[in-house]
Amino acid sequence: MTDRRRVNGPVGSTHPPVFENEPEQELGASKCLRTRAPTVTRKMYLKTGVTPSASGSAYLEIETSGKGSVSGLKLSCTVHGPRSLPRSTPFSPHIILSTHVKYAPFATKQRRGYLRDPTERDLGSHLETALRGAIIADRWPKSGVDIIISIVEGDQDREASKSQGGEAWDMMNALSGCITVASAALTDAGIDCVDTVAGGVAALVRDEGDDTTPRIVIDPIPSEHEQILAACCVAYLPDRDEITNLWFKGDLPASDMELYSQLVEKGIQASRNSNEVIVSSLRETVG
Amino acid sequence: MATPSLSFSRPTFAKLSPHPYLLTNLSPQSPSTKPSRTNGRAPHEARPVQIHTSSLSHAHGSALVRSGNTTVVCGVRAEILPVTNIPQYRPRSSLQPSSTTTSDDDDAADRAELKTYDLLVPNIELATGCAPQFLPGVPPSSLAQTLSTRVYSLLHSCGVVDPKSLRIWHDPSTETKNPDESMQVDDNDEDDEAEPPQLMAYWVLYIDLLFVSFDGNPFDAAWTAVMAALRDTKLPAARWDPDRGMAICSRTKKNPLDVSRGGLPVACTAAVFQEKEYAEAGGLGGENRHWILLDPDRLEESLCRETVTMVVDCGEGETRIRSVEKLGGTVIGRELMRGFVGVAEKRWSEVREAMK
Repeated sequence: MTDRRRVNGPVGSTHPPVFENEPEQELGASKCLRTRAPTVTRKMYLKTGVTPSASGSAYLEIETSGKGSVSGLKLSCTVHGPRSLPRSTPFSPHIILSTHVKYAPFATKQRRGYLRDPTERDLGSHLETALRGAIIADRWPKSGVDIIISIVEGDQDREASKSQGGEAWDMMNALSGCITVASAALTDAGIDCVDTVAGGVAALVRDEGDDTTPRIVIDPIPSEHEQILAACCVAYLPDRDEITNLWFKGDLPASDMELYSQLVEKGIQASRNSNEVIVSSLRETVG
Repeated sequence: MATPSLSFSRPTFAKLSPHPYLLTNLSPQSPSTKPSRTNGRAPHEARPVQIHTSSLSHAHGSALVRSGNTTVVCGVRAEILPVTNIPQYRPRSSLQPSSTTTSDDDDAADRAELKTYDLLVPNIELATGCAPQFLPGVPPSSLAQTLSTRVYSLLHSCGVVDPKSLRIWHDPSTETKNPDESMQVDDNDEDDEAEPPQLMAYWVLYIDLLFVSFDGNPFDAAWTAVMAALRDTKLPAARWDPDRGMAICSRTKKNPLDVSRGGLPVACTAAVFQEKEYAEAGGLGGENRHWILLDPDRLEESLCRETVTMVVDCGEGETRIRSVEKLGGTVIGRELMRGFVGVAEKRWSEVREAMK
């Protein structure tokens, strides 16, 4: 069943271009390794007020890493509300958040459709949990707020093969960006929060080479490492020292509790870094 | 003691009674002040256009167009459609990879080729929260559908994309280079020589537009973004691999998409603002002053019924009108339309400057 409300294109199926392996490419395919120190995040650009007609909006761009083919994350977030809920909805003593995350069709290696897929819904629900802990929801009974994020460009290596399974880890980076940009947009909309929440990612990675002891890095790029063993994305309120959302993924020995807490610790560190970006960007707007 | 003042701030007035507010701005009391719109522009003044290209790395061509507070991102993505996947594929015998014939028949056939095989797929997404009335989670609004269709038909009617650069050929005569192979297939060599190049696949261009911010006049911004992105598009050089039965692209070699044939059509939209609102004007008769507002913003669009969009191309020394669309009223007649061509010409040179 085709969607007749859009221009659908040819009836026959099309496939993305398949590239040949050129010899010099294979030889010189020395992977771009991480040059940043393990505790340094990539540079971020954050700007609020990109959509004047919305109550609040923000745009976040994360710097592309050294290799040309790796795109940086580009996110645009708009906040509409608080506004009254339609009459038919039952009474709610606090504000109702609805989050919506959507990849643009040209954001990733594979072309995305216009309908939301499960990963986007998943990102949306994680984002909602992260923000719910920060908003003072009781101040707006019977109202709702819409938080909409368009991922204009995903954080993905164009040349990475599918077998590396980068997709799952890319989602972590995307979520952390979403939390940061949504927090800035909420502040821009003037919605009361207990603190500015920010996202951060830390991962346990194993690098190429003889030295096989895994190490923990913050703000990982999957293609820069041989393997990612585990990663965690935290949404953190720095002034209250509280975590509003914790997303953990990967394979760790259950006995080593130390490793778990270290990973979360590093995630908090990453989140503190992005929080600084939010605060300085908001200062600029006010000052 | 100051009495509580009854004056509101400008934005409050604009929100409470937009029509009288815009009318007062356009017809000032003293003749010395020039009529201006609520956004401070003169009636025939458009917003400046800014264009950035090649900012997206996953798309083959991309553009970001900003015109005032309207911001739109366009990404062009090419995918391969093998001819075996086309249900009603009819090979054209006259077609050659290097044919440069420009007879009218060929031209018409080229256009039909683009359209019947649906090689251009423009889609406009408005539901990104770019304005309070466009919230996601709903099917495309009628405005989004109209815009997509208008871009689609204009792309075809202007012949912007040359189908030549979308074809992927297989030339059997260049395939058997391997000496061992040619030894074995010695008998067949003559047949190979005789076999003409075959058209094996097409590139399909998915042109997706995403509104980041919406403040009126979506069509002009969208069309500018489409043109800028198409001019920026580079397709990888593809050859047909008969063994694998698929097209293989080169990682390093890229060919820019040929969009020279269509020239540079530029859309120019204006809205007609009338002194009396539609309901009263009908019965009262008499004079009903009107203003033509170029490049209307969101507030003006909500107050105007009649709009006109003209697509012109002033390249090659003369002005060609590629499309005229006028809807919703009776103010713009032949004379005004003729005058509007001049306005559109001015807009064309502005946009061309921005594209450079």
